Order: sequence, then C-alpha cells, then structure tokens
Amino acid sequence: MRNETYDVLIIGSGHSGGMAAKVLTEAGIRCLMLNAGPVADVLRDAARKPAYELPYRGFRPPGRIEHVFQSNEFNANVWVDEEEVPYTFDPGQPYNWVRVRLFGGRSLFWSRQSFRLSDYEFKGKSHDGFGEDWPISYADLAPYYSRVERIFRVAGALDGPPQMPDGSFILDDSRWSGSMQRFIAAAKPRNIPVCKQRRALGVDGLASSVNLLLPDAGRTGNLTSIADAVVREITVDSNTGLPNGCNFVDRLSRREMSVKARVVVLAAGTLESTRLLLNSNLANSSGLVGRYLTDQIYGAGVVCSVPEARGRKPEDAARGMLMGGTAIVPRFRNIDTKSDKFLRGYAFNVSSITGAVAPRNFAAYGAELQRKLDEYYGSGFQMTLMGEVLSRYENHVRIDKDKVDAWDIPVLRIETKYTDNEFNMAQDAVDVGCELAEAAGFEVLSKNPAPNPPGYSIHEIGTCRMGNDPKQSVLNPWCQSHDHKNLFVVDGAAFTSGGWQNPTMTILALSMRASEYLAGEMSKQNI
Amino acid sequence: MLRRDFVRAVISFLFAAKVSRAQQANDPTLPPPAPVPWTLGLNSRTPIPATQLPDEIAATELRFFSEKQMATLMRLSDVLLPPLNGKPGAVEAQTPIFLDFLIGSSPEPRRKTYSGGLDWLEAASLAKFQAAFAKLNDSQAGDLLKPWLRTWMSDHPPTEPHAEFINIAHDDIRMATINSKVWSDVPSVGAEESAEVALYWSPIEPDIYGPEGSGHIPPHVQAAPKAAHAMPSYPR
Repeated sequence: MRNETYDVLIIGSGHSGGMAAKVLTEAGIRCLMLNAGPVADVLRDAARKPAYELPYRGFRPPGRIEHVFQSNEFNANVWVDEEEVPYTFDPGQPYNWVRVRLFGGRSLFWSRQSFRLSDYEFKGKSHDGFGEDWPISYADLAPYYSRVERIFRVAGALDGPPQMPDGSFILDDSRWSGSMQRFIAAAKPRNIPVCKQRRALGVDGLASSVNLLLPDAGRTGNLTSIADAVVREITVDSNTGLPNGCNFVDRLSRREMSVKARVVVLAAGTLESTRLLLNSNLANSSGLVGRYLTDQIYGAGVVCSVPEARGRKPEDAARGMLMGGTAIVPRFRNIDTKSDKFLRGYAFNVSSITGAVAPRNFAAYGAELQRKLDEYYGSGFQMTLMGEVLSRYENHVRIDKDKVDAWDIPVLRIETKYTDNEFNMAQDAVDVGCELAEAAGFEVLSKNPAPNPPGYSIHEIGTCRMGNDPKQSVLNPWCQSHDHKNLFVVDGAAFTSGGWQNPTMTILALSMRASEYLAGEMSKQNI
Repeated sequence: MLRRDFVRAVISFLFAAKVSRAQQANDPTLPPPAPVPWTLGLNSRTPIPATQLPDEIAATELRFFSEKQMATLMRLSDVLLPPLNGKPGAVEAQTPIFLDFLIGSSPEPRRKTYSGGLDWLEAASLAKFQAAFAKLNDSQAGDLLKPWLRTWMSDHPPTEPHAEFINIAHDDIRMATINSKVWSDVPSVGAEESAEVALYWSPIEPDIYGPEGSGHIPPHVQAAPKAAHAMPSYPR
C-alpha cells in the first residue's frame, strides 16, 4: 500500500489550480493535483461535422443539460451532466450552474476577456457604503496582474479610465471602424468611456491552464497529476485537527482511495470548493462558508443596424471601413455621479458585426424575412450587458441532505436571486443602449432588459470570502483558512465582492499571490 | 505406393507447408495463419464503410403530435419557411417530422408550448375562416400569424401566450431546416444561411460502468444481457 505524503495537494486543474501548481512546483515544492474528470484529447475525442450528421440536427440534446444555455449538440459532451452531478434549487429561482470537469476545467473554454478589478471594487464599501471592503487593495494585486497578463499575452490599449486600470498588454493600435467612431462620438458627451477590448491571446489560439501553466509545472518534475479523481472529502489529522489529505473515488472504477499531503489547496471552482468544505465540515467557524454567492448579470442588451452598411456587398471597401471591431464600455454609473436607481454599475461589450444579422431581429417570415436578411447583412451593431451583482448574505449554497451525485456525494442546494438593484441596472443598460444607438444614427432592431438566470455568466464568485476578521470571513487576505493554517482556497470563492469585470485575471492573480505566500511560509517552516 | 515413396511425399509436403508458413510470416500482405485471435481485425488501413443518414432513407411514425396537429405544423412550416431561390423549404427538409421527434423528446414545458400552440392555431383558424389551418392560403395564414411576430434576443423569446409559440416554432423550424442535409446540398448564396459545421465532441471517457440511474452513458455495443442466474467467474 502506498503511503507517500506530498507537500501540497491541489484539488482542481483550471486556471487557479494550474497557477498554484506552477508557482509551488517552481519553488521546489512537491505537488499532487487531482482532477474530477478525464483528459480531453482533441484529436481523439473531437471531429468536425455538419449538424445534419448529428441526431438532433445541432439542437441541444433534450433534457440533458437544460441549464447550460451555452451548450449545443456539438459541445454537449464537454459539460458536466446534470443527471450525473445534480444540484437543487427552488423551481421559482433557477440557477444555471455551468461546469466542465475535463482536465484544465473551464480554462479550456473561457471567452478570454481580461480585466483588472479597481479600487471601485476592492473598496466598494468605502465608496458607497454597501457590503464589505476587501482586505486587500488594488495596489496589493497590481504586480500580480502584470505577471499574469504577460503569461496569458493579454492584448489591449492603454486607454482605461481609473475604474479599468491598464496593464502589461500586447498593444492594440488598430483603427476604429467608422461605426465604432460614431458610437464613440455619441458616448463622449454623455461621459461614457469607450475602450479597446482586452483579451488574452494565449498561444496557438488557447489561453488555458493546460497550455500556459501546467507545462511549466510539469517541467520541474515536482508535479504528479491524477485524472478522474472525484474528491469525496478532505481528511483531518485526528491529533492536530489539521487537514492532511483527502478521500476520493475513481470516477470509472468507483474504487475508494486516499492521499496524504501537508497542505491542501482547493481550486475546484467556486462552488465545488465550497461543496467540499461543507461536506468535510471544515473552515466554517464563521458560519459563512457558502454565503455571499454572487456573479454577474448577463443577457440584457440592444441589437441595432447601421443604415449606411445595408445593401452593400461584402467586398465593398466602404463597408469594410464602416463595420467591424469590438469595444468595451467600462462601468460609468456611480463613479463621479450617483444613480438613484441602483448601486455599482455595468459594462457594455460592443460589437460591430460584419456577418449575418440573426433572423429573430425581424418580425417577418418567408420571402419577406429573406429580403431583410439580404439587406441587413453586415450591418449589425450590438451592446450586451455585464453588470455587478451585489454580494448578499442571503444568496447562498448549502448541502442538500436528500440528494447525492453518481458517486454518493451529497449535492449542493443553491438559493440565490437577483433583486431590484440588478433589474434596474439591466433596464438602465437597455435605455442607455437605445439612447446611444439613436445618437449614433443606428436603428434599434431588438432589445431585452431581462437578465439570464443567475450563474449564466459562469462567473460565480464568493462563498468563502476573504477578510481580516475571522468572525466575518472564511479566508484571510492570503486565501488561507482562518481556522486551518494549512488549508487554502485559491479560486473565485475567495472574492469578497464582485464587479462588472470578468473575474479570470483576478482569480489568476489571487492564486499566484496566495501560492507565493504559501511557498514562503513553507520555506520558513511556518506551515 | 511404396512405403518409401509415401514417407518422401509426407516429408516434402511438411517441408512445403513450413516454407509456405515462413513466407506468409514474412509477407505482411497475407493474413496470419488460422486460427487467429478473434480480437484481431480493425487497423489503420481498414476501409471505412460508407453509410447514409437514416432520415434520408427511412420513414418514421408520428409519436408525439396528433394527426391534426401534424397537419397544422406542416402548413405552418411551409408558410414560415417555403422553398426560396432554389433552396428547399421546411417541408422538403422533413422538418415537421423531425420536430415530432425533437419536441416529443423534450421536457414538458416545451411540449406544452407546441401542442398548446398548434391547438390554438387550429381553433383560431376555424373561428376566423371556418377552415382548418392546413387548408388556409398564404394570405389567410398571414392574418393569423403576423400579429404575434416579435423581435427578440437569444435566450429571451417572447413570453406572452401565442407569441411565445409562434416565435419559438419559427426559430426551431428555421434551425432544423437550415441544418438539414437537403438544405446543405444546395449551395447558399449571398446572405442565405448555411448548415452549421463545427467541432463535435464525442463523449470523453464516459462512465460506462456506472450503476443504473447514475446518468452514465451506455456503450453503443452492449454485451449479452445479464443472465438471471449466476454466471461462473474464472479467468478466460
């Protein structure tokens, strides 16, 4: 029987686990990484196919992954099956829990938008009185953001206002298209900033843990990885009360196994890390494990058409100058002024579209619809919302004692809902979007003020929030458990509050910072 | 035959067989001598059999919609996406019978949207034109459909009764038709949409050993069903 004790056990292999593995192994620390799902090999597991060769002609297979709006028949098999790993919620308050258990996790499929938080987020309470400030400030994290941006090769321009700090970018000096220039001109008198998008270029079209982080860890010779290891619970040394490894079940054989380590790093993704803590009865002296679940509102927006781009052929050079490109409108509400409708704010993703305008933007069918599609081709312009969701105690997860997954592990019950703050924000976004479109001379084709269900953005954060007070937080400012000095949570669960920004860069920077702190503490033999 | 000749013949036969076997072993184009292990077979040079899509060949029976609902859906599909500019319409793409399969396999709310919507459309047609929807001309069908057309953004179809059904059905009919083989067989020109072609992910090491009801994906080739009696267990 094997009885090896590793220095650090890392549970999860996505962005946060990959970063922990890279930092720790490069510091000479022997790590064992467990991942709940298999390794995906695109040559073995995937092939290009037309939709008509698939049983459902490209429609999402009925009933299997109802809460993954992002899914279709082509990618249905990469998501976690909702029957295999269920979760429960009030039917009146559905939650879209979008999960990937392949090795590399959701880092294999993310949209790669790459933003820093600012002190409008880290110190939100100081700004408007709501919620809690983070125990760290932007200055604490800025150096880590820079290093992460260089690893992920983030492209962008140095054009951010204070609420969207600039970074170490591959500079984007492309010209704005004509439609974007008109949009910027419409936004300027309203004090709405329009900036170049910020996106991780990665390498070979991928910006993932599996190609940017894990290979570095592997080269050190200090990383051992196991796939298909579904962790049941973290184990505890009965003498010291400290975590000392975990019990897991092999996904396919269902053999029960265990491993030992001096330190446990949770990086399973916000809600799976929290589920593990709850199932292990650990780190919860504050009673706040599972509390303050938040994400971002998505789904609201405005679709327009640029009249001058209509009826032109794709090869028309004038249309090429007029259309194309993307922009980010960083939060502009509640920065210098104060809205009486909602706290915090939202961003717009803006796209000038050179391809087809979707048929649902026209109240027509048959030949009349085809005429519209022909005429409007290459003239689309859209603004979609990414809004901050307030961090609230009552939005939480807990263990559902009545339901287990395919390996008999108790599942999560998720209770969260949006409030008037989020709904008013979404309505404001649609109103502002229509106003900007009108000022720019665009025709509004369709609009939607209703957010998608919570969870849809795949930006779930919180549930193990960090803070200085052990009674008011689960983790300290180093993502370390207040209760157990050798237990760390390095994924999105550590967030004290959210923002309008996609959280990936912040997750990576926090994991890098926590892992370097952990390596230092281990070298000083404090852990 | 003299005994001596017989012995010589046997020896020469055995020698020839040995040489032949040796030649076979050295010649990769010849099959290995029988008996071969039954697991030998497929290799990288094995030709892939050519097959057809079943819904181009075979018929299926209605299993979800009633005959009357199907007649309404056929007409609705033809009105919303008729043959245009050489492209086949929804009926030629077998979209209505595909939707019988898709919607019949779907969760209850989707099924209700369709069956309730088709029944409403038929009732509205009888009330306004004293004729089944399937018998209406394009103009009459338009009178019933156009008041309910809405513009909408993805994932947010209209929620008001009737508009919900008409707009969802329109979206589904278009997608099922555009992603059909017959639509793809006619090249798209200009802004005409094309069948989606994308990276399809097979199940990645699916949990084929999982217990019943665990949500595992069964293998596409099943061994013989488990016998009711205990099977002897020994190394084979």
